[in-house]
Amino acid sequence: MATEVLWWIFAAAIVVLSAGVVFSRSIIHSAIFLIGSLAGVGAMYIFLQMEFLALVQFLIYGGAVTVLILLALMLTRPDAPGHRQSLNGTQQPFALLVGAGLMVILFAVITGTTWPGSDIESLTEVPLTLVSQRLFEDFGAPFVIASALLLVALVGAIILARQEEGE
Amino acid sequence: MVPLENYLVLSAIIFSLGVYGVLARRNAVLVLMSIELMLNAVSLNFIAFAAYLDPGKITGAIFAVFVITVAAAEVGLALAIVIRLFRNRATSNVDEAAIMKW
Repeated sequence: MATEVLWWIFAAAIVVLSAGVVFSRSIIHSAIFLIGSLAGVGAMYIFLQMEFLALVQFLIYGGAVTVLILLALMLTRPDAPGHRQSLNGTQQPFALLVGAGLMVILFAVITGTTWPGSDIESLTEVPLTLVSQRLFEDFGAPFVIASALLLVALVGAIILARQEEGE
Repeated sequence: MVPLENYLVLSAIIFSLGVYGVLARRNAVLVLMSIELMLNAVSLNFIAFAAYLDPGKITGAIFAVFVITVAAAEVGLALAIVIRLFRNRATSNVDEAAIMKW
């Protein structure tokens, strides 16, 4: 089936790009790989019939967050000459051990569990009205609190990063 | 039709890579990028469960919206801290920001 082939291509791309983020030797390359990985996860949302969330993913992650990260990289110049040093700490082998161990445990749990819903023929399309209904009616208060959180966090970020007088 | 397990395995791989990145990297921005990977893996799990097991209510998808919101706030704040750290100590390595370490 065409969709399944496409799914496997996207899944392989996501895994390769995510590995690129954590194993790359250049910090800018890591950021570029991250954009690809986040866009790939957005494509996965389309496979899951969640078009609205895919759109949000592309806009917020693919656009805003990665641009913010690239901007911070430019401001802190970790690749500048005379600044060259290893991007990994001395604890790297242990980190590899922990990551691999976690992956093995998660695989064991996923394959050892019988998940419901494996008999579903096709996913039902999620209309945008359902998303908005859930978001603004049932989760109205958390939505408002989340917006307040975002506002406060961004004002705090501006105050933290601002150049103060006499500095 | 891709079964639910495939999404879970994919998400587990991304999450484990993120854990490795958080633990191994020295640069604060790279640690942050690995955290983004982990948050994305969690969102993917939420949405996969919502699509497969909760199609009429999609509670998991709403959770993912909140995860994305909090991640955006977190990235903004963390990058402000990194820029501040770089301005004060001329480094963005987390192991060199050790004033408060006993």
